[in-house]
Amino acid sequence: MYKRIFYLSISSGIFAAFACIVYNKVYFFAFEIEFKKQVNPGSVIGINLLACIAAGAGYYLFKSLLRKYADRVFNIVFMCFTFASLVVPLAISLPLDVQNPELFPALAIPMHFFPFVGWFSLKPFFIRD
Amino acid sequence: MKKAIYPFAAILLVAASAFTFIKSQDWKVNDDYTIKFSSEDPSGEFKGLQGAIKFDETDLASSKFDVTVDVSTINTGNGMKNTHAKSDKWFDATKFPTINFTSTSIIKTPSGYDAKGNLQIHGVTKEFTIPFTFQKTATGGIFISSFDINRLDFNINTAEPNHGASKLKVDLNIPVTKA
Repeated sequence: MYKRIFYLSISSGIFAAFACIVYNKVYFFAFEIEFKKQVNPGSVIGINLLACIAAGAGYYLFKSLLRKYADRVFNIVFMCFTFASLVVPLAISLPLDVQNPELFPALAIPMHFFPFVGWFSLKPFFIRD
Repeated sequence: MKKAIYPFAAILLVAASAFTFIKSQDWKVNDDYTIKFSSEDPSGEFKGLQGAIKFDETDLASSKFDVTVDVSTINTGNGMKNTHAKSDKWFDATKFPTINFTSTSIIKTPSGYDAKGNLQIHGVTKEFTIPFTFQKTATGGIFISSFDINRLDFNINTAEPNHGASKLKVDLNIPVTKA
């Protein structure tokens, strides 16, 4: 079981990172603004993999402890963490040399949903109820 | 008669020198200046510095600062904070678009200079002293200053004195070249 969860974590992390990179390109095309220091392939891949591996660890823990109710509880917890994480791009103060910091949340907030989306999109391929 | 010309010329020269005035040096602000403010929260910077800077270390009496800073250029690094800072709750940038400082006197101090004058922020004008130093460079000079300011003195969000810091440290670094 843990192998499948691990593969799901890695796959959803890569999927989310790819979605972030594409969205970053689209955002640049739309607004002609980049936040290179904050959003770059390295940081995006690292953060998304970390988020999805943490989600995988949590899912494994819930499966071990709650068994029957694990999925329901995990989904709620994952959703809560995702929403809570939205505070970060709203509250963060960027370096003063970054132009148009008011456009940063519109870039970063959708990205915070990508691990969640990636996880649930790919879950049926790895774990069957 | 010819001999009388020389003493006459000498007297004329001395007399004319009494009416000679020294014009203080005008300075042009370089683009790489910084106006930073810092506290526990918030910290940031302003841009949009404009105005006239006349300064001569040898003639402080005719030296004068008359400068403005565009309030709408405030940058805290956070878009939400920038918007709040410009709103009527804080700086009210629409009603009071600039911060103004006009010096009335500049005096020499042991550590540099003090520019005494009127500082207007948020429509409130107060007598204010800005301590500064002037460092000569190959192309001109740099005005460097650091001082504290209390936003409550200028009626900035007095309804929430504990919302963010009330006392902020301001650091100026203004490179200039001769105009």
